[in-house]
Amino acid sequence: MAETATAAPKRSSSWRQFKAILRKDIVMELRTKEMLSSMTLYTLLTLVIYQIALSQSGSGFDIRLIAAGLVWLAFVFTSMLGLNRSLVHEKDQGCLEALLLAPVDRPVIFFAKAVGNLIFLLIVEVVTVPIFAVAFMSGRPIAGPFWMLVLSAFVGSLGIAGVGTFLATMAVNARGGSFILSVLFIPLMYPALLAAVAGSSAVVLGGEGYAATFWQAVGMGAGIDAIMLLAVFALYEFVVGA
Amino acid sequence: MAMDRNRLTFAAVVVGGLLTTVAFVLAFFVAAPVLANNTLTAGGGALIGGKLITNPVLFSQKIFFFHVPVAITSFVIFFFTAFYGVRFLMTKDKRFDTKARIATEITLVFVALTMITGDIWTRYEWGTWWVWEPRLTTYFIMMMLVIVYFVLRASIEDEERRAVYASAFGILAFLDAPLSFAITRIVPSGAHPVVLRAGGGLDAVQLGGFLIGLAGMLCFGYAIYQLRIREETAKERLEVLKASLEG
Amino acid sequence: MPEGGSSTYAVEIEGLVRAFGARKALDGVSLTLPAGAFLSIFGPNGAGKTTLLRVLTTLTNPSKGTARIAGLDVVKDAVELRDRIGLISHNPLLYPDLSAQENLEFFAEMYGVEDPAARVHDLLTAVELDHRRLDLVRTFSRGMLQRLSIARALLHRPEVLFLDEPYSGLDPHAADILDSLIASVRAEHTFVMVSHDLAKGLELCTHALILAKGRVVLFEPRENIDPDAFAATYRSTVGMGVA
Repeated sequence: MAETATAAPKRSSSWRQFKAILRKDIVMELRTKEMLSSMTLYTLLTLVIYQIALSQSGSGFDIRLIAAGLVWLAFVFTSMLGLNRSLVHEKDQGCLEALLLAPVDRPVIFFAKAVGNLIFLLIVEVVTVPIFAVAFMSGRPIAGPFWMLVLSAFVGSLGIAGVGTFLATMAVNARGGSFILSVLFIPLMYPALLAAVAGSSAVVLGGEGYAATFWQAVGMGAGIDAIMLLAVFALYEFVVGA
Repeated sequence: MAMDRNRLTFAAVVVGGLLTTVAFVLAFFVAAPVLANNTLTAGGGALIGGKLITNPVLFSQKIFFFHVPVAITSFVIFFFTAFYGVRFLMTKDKRFDTKARIATEITLVFVALTMITGDIWTRYEWGTWWVWEPRLTTYFIMMMLVIVYFVLRASIEDEERRAVYASAFGILAFLDAPLSFAITRIVPSGAHPVVLRAGGGLDAVQLGGFLIGLAGMLCFGYAIYQLRIREETAKERLEVLKASLEG
Repeated sequence: MPEGGSSTYAVEIEGLVRAFGARKALDGVSLTLPAGAFLSIFGPNGAGKTTLLRVLTTLTNPSKGTARIAGLDVVKDAVELRDRIGLISHNPLLYPDLSAQENLEFFAEMYGVEDPAARVHDLLTAVELDHRRLDLVRTFSRGMLQRLSIARALLHRPEVLFLDEPYSGLDPHAADILDSLIASVRAEHTFVMVSHDLAKGLELCTHALILAKGRVVLFEPRENIDPDAFAATYRSTVGMGVA
């Protein structure tokens, strides 16, 4: 006993634990490429569906009117695929329990998982947007500067990753996990997604005062993110331990 | 204590019935039509759902005295879903989860009523069954959230986990409803005019009718809630008795 | 007071109740276990064994009563306490897509183990997995998983080790290895084991506990126990079923 007492370990810092969880998720993903490959494939198939849906729209149809909405739609569906995977990993062999047994503050687990999901989602977006542009936007440049598009994508993805990680933690313990995730996710994300589409659309379409519309939408999006992320942050401890 | 509750519930039913009846009478026989549509009162008409609507005085306007109180009541009750959700998470006392669940049930009833009465309004007033107008959209999302709350409950085996998840989701859903309203209101959608606008002004009789209707609906909401709680409590007591007999 | 050895008791439980609504998984459990002891917990399914283990390992909060492990309260001092307990479950609690070494290194980071590389190496050698350290855990046999899982539980030198049905699903050979591993670290830890296996549990323990319907039916030091009478008591609880 005496020996173990003197060797009692110093507690790991939250920052170290955060990095460890995040690194572990990235290492596992780079090894299996499970999430990224399935998410990217799914996005590509979504684009095929768009081609079918738009096949009769004729050459006069201006795709830019709905381009932002279509791209966000693809993000939403692929993100749900990824979010579900990221928590199924933890649940598979009881690893989430092992994490909960470690001297780690619950929000650290939440932040690490959410940041990991955000990174994967952003990677998928980086792949998707150029393909979408080439496939559907040929000859129709976006009106606003590119960085505005990036900003609105980031604000929207932040909400998706945060709220999505929270909901996936619940869905993984529910019967019909991925179905539950999508039915919880879509109505709850409605305001954030509407703001994201409005912001991105303003940049794509341009027109008079588009910058004002953009900032209003992105500002709203950021505000909604803040409220929802604070709420899920406060609630995570209850949900992850239940 | 229980006796008081019962009497209060009974009183709420009676008062609720009386008040809504009074509101009904006021709406149909006393109050002037509510001038909800500014564009219409200006005599110009408005383009809604692709049709020009120019007739401002319609039978459907009377629904204002029911539709709006029902909508407000649904939101008031939805607040209790979140409130008891917080209480549950703080205490882990199963009774609060039961209260939250029943509050959500009644929210669903009132949201459904809101959707139905609202739809009658849109059909006659605007000549279309559905418009993605901010309030309609918000209520549609809210209805989805409330339905999903029960889908979530049904998908979880463990009783306590079910209660924790439902509480957490109830709180998020309650936060989400005003956000949905804000975003649909603020972000310009271009396609539809903002038709309803507050501050059109109600005269004393209209306001009275409206407030009486609202009070009546709140009484009904309370009464249904109490009745359901009583039923659930009895059911749970029966379960306990059964378990103790088996044990 | 997170200094070790502050209490002569490894486990102190007082009036522990774990209830949801009318259903009581634990209904007033009290006991004390001296440091260095080996407690075996028996009981029929639904007796509250798992719930008790979850409360003691800070995964679930009690509804009433208190529990202290190594002098630390399972609710108030949960985070400090997690540093001093380890769990070996029938579930390996390892990431299949990481190698043995990566798994241990990850958990070493989570616990803030000093000189993790050396510690991980020592443990991998101790559980005879050093030659497989770079292989993915996905490729491991049940017995190897269990050995690695023990290494994971010992990483941060916990004072109290919890074992949740550690023998379930092991073939006789793997069970023998588990036996010798437990024996090799037996002196340094207090053990709390949940088991269905009467013979095994009695063989290892210094104290035995039978739970039924969330209550203590029997709690005795090993030397006061007559195996036959004990087996009879245990069997009488099996019919009692779920609380």
